[in-house]
Amino acid sequence: MKILVCVKQVPEPENAFIIDDSKEWIRPGTFSYRMNRFDESALEEALSIKDRYKAVGIDVISVGSENSKDVIRRAIGMGADAGIYIFHDPVGYVSPFLTASFIASYIKENNYDLIFAGAISEDSLQGQVGPLAAEMAGLPCVSFVVKQEISSDQKSMYVERELDGGLVEFFELALPALLTIQGGINKPRYPSLSNVLRASRAEIRTINSDLYTKSVPGQKNKQLTIPEKKREGYVLSGSVHEKAAELIRILSQKSFIA
Amino acid sequence: MGKMNKPGQKSIFIIAEHNENKVKPVLFELASCAYKIKKYCPAEIKVILLGNETEKLSSEITHVTGLDVVATEINELALFNPEIYKKVIEDLAAEFLPSFIIAGHTPRGLDVASGLAVRMKAACITGIESLGETEGKICFRRQIFYGKIDAHVTADSEPLIITVQPGAFEPFKPENAATGKVETRRVNYVPFFTHEKGIRRSIFQDSSISEAKVIVSAGNGIGEKENLDLVNRFAAVFPGSAVGGSRIIVDRGWLEYRQQIGLTGAQVAPELYIACGISGASQHLAGMRGSGFVVAINKDPKAAIFNESDVCVVEDINKFIPAFLEEYKKKEI
Ligand SMILES: Cc1cc2nc3c(=O)[nH]c(=O)nc-3n(C[C@H](O)[C@H](O)[C@H](O)COP(=O)(O)OP(=O)(O)OC[C@H]3O[C@@H](n4cnc5c(N)ncnc54)[C@H](O)[C@@H]3O)c2cc1C
Repeated sequence: MKILVCVKQVPEPENAFIIDDSKEWIRPGTFSYRMNRFDESALEEALSIKDRYKAVGIDVISVGSENSKDVIRRAIGMGADAGIYIFHDPVGYVSPFLTASFIASYIKENNYDLIFAGAISEDSLQGQVGPLAAEMAGLPCVSFVVKQEISSDQKSMYVERELDGGLVEFFELALPALLTIQGGINKPRYPSLSNVLRASRAEIRTINSDLYTKSVPGQKNKQLTIPEKKREGYVLSGSVHEKAAELIRILSQKSFIA
Repeated sequence: MGKMNKPGQKSIFIIAEHNENKVKPVLFELASCAYKIKKYCPAEIKVILLGNETEKLSSEITHVTGLDVVATEINELALFNPEIYKKVIEDLAAEFLPSFIIAGHTPRGLDVASGLAVRMKAACITGIESLGETEGKICFRRQIFYGKIDAHVTADSEPLIITVQPGAFEPFKPENAATGKVETRRVNYVPFFTHEKGIRRSIFQDSSISEAKVIVSAGNGIGEKENLDLVNRFAAVFPGSAVGGSRIIVDRGWLEYRQQIGLTGAQVAPELYIACGISGASQHLAGMRGSGFVVAINKDPKAAIFNESDVCVVEDINKFIPAFLEEYKKKEI
């Protein structure tokens, strides 16, 4: 059985994001990155299948700038077998249509029984790449999966997915299929030393996205803005003790503390 | 087949979800969004409902909103099947040629929206929180980069497919709405690849946290599980307080699900809400926006939570709480 896991690197939330002069995107910066948490959970689901059944191969794929290779190496460190990197690094915003179309093109040229993606990325929260790629590749798809089990003949799979409001719904899907995985459903493993060594030496297959037809990006950022303040936002100043004393004063005045 | 649109008559589809024989309340928020769009782009709003027992649901929708409903009865469909939804809505769209298709920013909504976008070669903007007009075009606002930036997004696309963040629009429930028309059709569709296997309530919502006067919430910024102890001691300062947390903390098992605040947790409105090391993602804000007074403690001065706070404390949470407890002790003596 062959599984493909789509992974993405996201800048960490603590980074400063500054709107660029075009106002359509942010200035490129030296951000600190990590693997999107939802993708970590997707990879962990795939690794758990590999732990359970013999003869499972896991490839990871990432689309983006050159440093996307870091997240591929991290995935190999966690236990994936091989990495595919699709180079696509234009200036500015990249529509999920484009990213999905590259992944779909790759899927159509290569045979996988199962494709996992994170349900959503933490930095852009669009939740589209997985379901778009599935549709483009003609695969059935269920998003926000929290539990999965492959049938004994490996031709179908049972999945549970989370709905809002504490409900879970169940489906049976014919394979091949694409699932997007909800974050936090498992404990993504740490890279092991032997795998990290393997990852550092691994040859990552690189594909230039120019080889693929580019489907029209459907949407455009007209403008980026800094969110409005919805409340007063009084910023305390001074040393940490001065701030603490000031907060105590404010909260006592409002009778929240005796 | 039903009647076609009058020539030149545009329409807006809003897609209803339902469970346990009830319409999901986000539908009424989608209706509000559709009315806002209608101001810029006159069109007839149609609620699209699919199921095998739609009569009661149709009547609820049209009585509450006064909107027209196009219901499709499909024997093979109980609640939701992405394959059936995509096919049936694609066919309805070919008939009515909607200018907009609006779904909830929910797992089901996203399945359908992205699928339809590919089939109809339409643009798809997800997780929108408000809309407006610039230079003759409708612009949709959505959060990016952890709520630190708002993107105002446009698209040249007909139809344009959007998903709406639950909680972002007021529910549309006019008083004495005139009842709209319900048109019910019947189709058969046996799915090939995806089969529904049922639904279960996995989590029973426990409302005890909603009653707390003060909620002190822990986020990823606390770093280690041991630091929850600090948060607990901090909360103990406030009479009538409870400890809550963001989803990340609950997913890790550091707090119980009943303590999760947000879209997929409890929606709370205490008199005082203190966010400790929480970034302020829209899904978290959806659970605490109604709070009386909000204090946020975060080491990042640009954290989105500060836009929703009355008092902002830019500090490392694990230094601030001990300082607060020391100062508080001084005061008591
Ligand atoms: C469908 C869906 C539903 C969701 N439902 C919910 C929900 O119900 N509730 C919910 O909370 N989330 C929900 N989420 C997740 C949400 O998008 C965010 O990922 C989550 O709220 C982030 O939690 P956080 O703020 O604790 O962590 P992070 O986003 O990691 O933020 C941590 C913050 O802590 C700060 N920090 C770090 N170290 C320190 C320090 N030492 N001192 C002070 N500050 C520090 C950082 O600056 C940062 O701002 C949902 C997501 C999806 C896709």
